Amino acid sequence: MSAIPPVDFLALSAILLGIGLFGILTRRNFILLLISIEIAMNAAILNFVVFAAYSGTGGGIGGQAAAVVLVGLAATEVAVGLAIVLALNRVRGSINVAEATTLRQ
Amino acid sequence: MILEEVAFVALGGVAIATALLALLVRELVHTILWVAVFFVDLAAIYFLLEAPFLGVLQLGVYAGAVTILLLFGVMVTRKRIFSREAATGIGPVPLALALLVIVLVGTAASVVPTAPQPIRAYDVTDLSSTLFVTDGGWLLLLGLTMMGALAGAIYLVREGRE
Repeated sequence: MSAIPPVDFLALSAILLGIGLFGILTRRNFILLLISIEIAMNAAILNFVVFAAYSGTGGGIGGQAAAVVLVGLAATEVAVGLAIVLALNRVRGSINVAEATTLRQ
Repeated sequence: MILEEVAFVALGGVAIATALLALLVRELVHTILWVAVFFVDLAAIYFLLEAPFLGVLQLGVYAGAVTILLLFGVMVTRKRIFSREAATGIGPVPLALALLVIVLVGTAASVVPTAPQPIRAYDVTDLSSTLFVTDGGWLLLLGLTMMGALAGAIYLVREGRE
């Protein structure tokens, strides 16, 4: 018997999601933007693990399987994001997302 | 039993504090160090939730690979890696929006029973059979996504593209 109710973990996950969203909305550096997305994504992965851990007697292991797949997806996303950072740095000389206006009319 | 509560409060507090510090400090390298602590802390939370495989995966992929990749990204895009970022203001609208999301998600989560329940531990054998047999399609899809992402990343950084 664990002394921690599942809702505590979900509250922690909600706060982390809020922090990630706040970073996405306010930061202008592309790398900081990537880090904010990672924080929000980790909050989502934590949710999967919590529901798998508190699934009672049902088949909750799919939650952990989904978390494994999500960790892989997040790593992929960082790799592509850093490729964009390098390309942006070469073309514009800066990784400020406010200056990346090449597609603007 | 009380030990678990103490561990949860400590780990949760460290997670929130490091996530906030990562976004609020001005040196980008310090940000990455704080975010590394955040990833290690989340791995500890996974161990607390009886998911040791995910904890190890979090340590290897996030605290190891993603942190080094981010550090590498900082190193190659600036001349002096310890230079400070320009101060970005904390706008009231993003803050309000983030608080709104926290309240909304928290409200949605409050339908979950608040009584303490047993944490269910899974065998790694069960996890692997789910991952590779029952839900094997998702792992295949992940592999295909990674392949496309690899090709896309190489396309983005290739030489002679202006």
